[in-house]
Amino acid sequence: MRMMSLYKDKDTIIHKIDPLNKILYILASILITMLISDFKILTLTLVFSFLLLAIGKVIKNVFPIISFSLIVLVTIVVIQGLFNPNNKIPLFNIGQFVFYKEGIIYSFLLILRVLNILCAFSLLILTTKPSDLIENLVRRGLSPKLGYVLASVLQIIPQMLSTMDTILDAQRSRGLETEGKLIKRLKAFIPLIGPAVMNSLISTRERAMALEMRGFNSNIKKTFLNEHNETSMDKLIRYLIIALIIFTIVWRLVWLK
Amino acid sequence: MAKIVVEGLKYRYPLSQKLALNDISFEINEGEFIGIIGANGAGKSTLCQALTGIVPLFFKGDYGGRVIIDDVEVAKSNLSEISLKIGMVFQNPFTQITGSKLTVYEEVAFGLENMGFEREEMKRRIDDALMLLDLYRHKDKNPFDLSGGQMQRLAIASIIAMQPKIIVLDEPTSQLDPQGSNEVFKAVSDLKKKGITVIMVEHKVEKLSEYADRIMLLHDGRLIDFDTPSKIFSKDDLKDYGVVEPVFTRYCKKIGLKDERGLYPVTLDEAVNLVVKKREHNS
Amino acid sequence: MNIIVKDLYFYYKEGEDVLKGINLEFDDRCTAIIGQNGAGKTTFVKLLKGLLKPKKGDIFIKGLNTKETTVAKLASIIGLVFQNPNDQIFKNKVLDEVMFGPLNIGQDKNLAFENAKKALELVALLQKADENPYDLTLSERKLISIASILAMDTDIIILDEPTIAQDFISREKIKNIIKKLKEEGKLVITITHDMDFVAENFERTIVFNQGQVLLDGPTKEVFSKEDILKTAHLEPPYITQLFKRLGFSETVLNLEEALNYKIL
Ligand SMILES: Nc1ncnc2c1ncn2[C@@H]1O[C@H](COP(=O)(O)OP(=O)(O)OP(=O)(O)O)[C@@H](O)[C@H]1O
Ligand SMILES: Nc1ncnc2c1ncn2[C@@H]1O[C@H](COP(=O)(O)OP(=O)(O)OP(=O)(O)O)[C@@H](O)[C@H]1O
Ligand SMILES: [Mg+2]
Ligand SMILES: [Mg+2]
Repeated sequence: MRMMSLYKDKDTIIHKIDPLNKILYILASILITMLISDFKILTLTLVFSFLLLAIGKVIKNVFPIISFSLIVLVTIVVIQGLFNPNNKIPLFNIGQFVFYKEGIIYSFLLILRVLNILCAFSLLILTTKPSDLIENLVRRGLSPKLGYVLASVLQIIPQMLSTMDTILDAQRSRGLETEGKLIKRLKAFIPLIGPAVMNSLISTRERAMALEMRGFNSNIKKTFLNEHNETSMDKLIRYLIIALIIFTIVWRLVWLK
Repeated sequence: MAKIVVEGLKYRYPLSQKLALNDISFEINEGEFIGIIGANGAGKSTLCQALTGIVPLFFKGDYGGRVIIDDVEVAKSNLSEISLKIGMVFQNPFTQITGSKLTVYEEVAFGLENMGFEREEMKRRIDDALMLLDLYRHKDKNPFDLSGGQMQRLAIASIIAMQPKIIVLDEPTSQLDPQGSNEVFKAVSDLKKKGITVIMVEHKVEKLSEYADRIMLLHDGRLIDFDTPSKIFSKDDLKDYGVVEPVFTRYCKKIGLKDERGLYPVTLDEAVNLVVKKREHNS
Repeated sequence: MNIIVKDLYFYYKEGEDVLKGINLEFDDRCTAIIGQNGAGKTTFVKLLKGLLKPKKGDIFIKGLNTKETTVAKLASIIGLVFQNPNDQIFKNKVLDEVMFGPLNIGQDKNLAFENAKKALELVALLQKADENPYDLTLSERKLISIASILAMDTDIIILDEPTIAQDFISREKIKNIIKKLKEEGKLVITITHDMDFVAENFERTIVFNQGQVLLDGPTKEVFSKEDILKTAHLEPPYITQLFKRLGFSETVLNLEEALNYKIL
């Protein structure tokens, strides 16, 4: 049974960066894309994100995520190109549908924004072990109980899947044909859902008792097995990102005037 | 002083008609090694859970009488306080894994983190516990990829590392190989020597007799007897309670071999010594 | 031959072999498999059952290669009681749980019902037939998982640690079940850590050690090799130990045998 995550275990500098900094990077990225509507800048930040992903050796893992959102992105282009209220200048047409310049530009900007945020999120998700992220948050004051819940939620789906595997084994052990045709497997799979949920619930109750006996609810201040040394590099990165955020806001205010 | 006093303890699970514990009273002194035996359904696990406060703080149901540890009434305190003093290894090893840790090593750390230990202390304790249970070479494994016996070892290691003043073990060796269960008995009796109170449910009566100071015999929720292993296993109505003597005792009962006090030997050493003495006497 | 295992290798993670070159044959002698925790016993019987497939080598169950047969097909020939009953039980009613196997391997409703009832009677849990298995204690759940395999009436029956959590009375019950199966000419293979249980019930004993077969022979012979057993973290039955200590050179296996000797 494994934690469910998209995390890719690699040994790069990006992996070693404090998860909090990656969260800040997401924040900065959201802020910049919301406040700035400049193609050049947004392209630049996107390129920068790709660069970081490349250093983290996870660039090819981003593409599935991007292509997954492609459907949404294409829809945006179509809708905006056709129906944006500011549409004036026709650009091209497909059959009787006319696409307008304003809408297309607007939608490309939107896509650029989405991609920016998507890449920033990917940077966190692909290069940070979920358990490290949660532990990091607990260290910074997130309630340990919430932390445990988050950690086990990450495990629930894989746990259910592994419970289903177990039950599948129990069933074929007793003569239920589960191999072969897809339809056969599907047929065997559906009745599994009930028992799988039931099984997880039961073990949850027994596990809850075991957790109690391991001091889970104690009022003592929790300590951590894994060392966490914030390097000066981490601090530097953090100040840089914060500075960038402030700069963007100020610049935007000034520019607005 | 970790002294346990139980007075008129009664308990009934929710939705159940029969009392799982029926008017149980006893005292256990600090540093005693207590064995609990009894047939399936006798109430052994329920009693363990009542000592640790899980009954009634976790399970509701009807509860009567008192369990007092160190002058504190268990039912009136909260589990987090109790858990710092008492550790419990549950009967089912498969459901004791926290599920939030990715390695055996971190799994043992879970309780220690909650107790707020310094990192160095934590590592020392984890190393010791893993060595003690012969799990050190599996320390980087995912807990769910262990064999049944290895999982049970992990459950024991996780509690021993916390070094509670009272340790309750519910059939901790049911899936261990013979050497492994010998080691657990030794480890636990080392704890006892350090003044820790040990309470252990076991079907392996041969080993239990070797280590336990006193044995509690439960049947149908009642405390039938609470005495030294020799006295308990010299009783002649054990079958009525669904339990059996150590094989040494059974053999000696069959051939009518008992000591001058009228008690049968309960351990290997006792049996050997008694035979040697009788042989000398005969010649 | 019921089962033939040829040069069997298996690993969960490449490079960490759990079973390393096992060659075994099983006729219909009642056989115990013993060995240290993590020796590979459970893995081995899951391979026999077809749930895992060999990485190298072959297993033949009554002539069928497990690599080429589905688990479901094998199920009418070979039954396995899992080590952890939670891994086996998935129905909400004890009776349904026990009838599941028989119905799947082609028994009609009436026959399946009769077989299920008989099996529950054997483990003395017929009175719980209508209960939800999730409400039962660990020892009862283990017995239910035994009953659900018995009801299938397979020629080969494997029990992975059947005596977990069982008291003296249930242990005797399991002992009688094994005896009965033996009389019916079935092959019973049992994994256990209870050496006395082995000595009381099994003709042949196989010792697994770090993924290999360390000893294999008549139970008495195996338990006479105390030193080798020790390397596999095992020890002879208590009564055997007693008679060794009392200076007998013979391997005394159980209480019945012990009563034939005069110790004073
Ligand atoms: N959660 C529960 N809800 C209702 N009844 C329960 C529950 N747990 C146990 N019981 C019942 O309480 C009684 C005592 O059970 P307990 O588990 O304490 O016995 P035990 O001596 O530990 O048995 P075993 O040797 O099987 O572990 C039994 O009759 C059992 O059926
Ligand atoms: N799903 C798994 N993934 C990875 N390793 C596993 C898995 N299951 C078992 N193992 C490892 O394979 C080895 C053999 O395990 P197995 O369960 O066969 O042992 P066993 O002899 O049955 O032990 P026990 O007496 O404790 O039940 C062990 O070292 C175990 O940690
Ligand atoms: Mg119990
Ligand atoms: Mg096993």
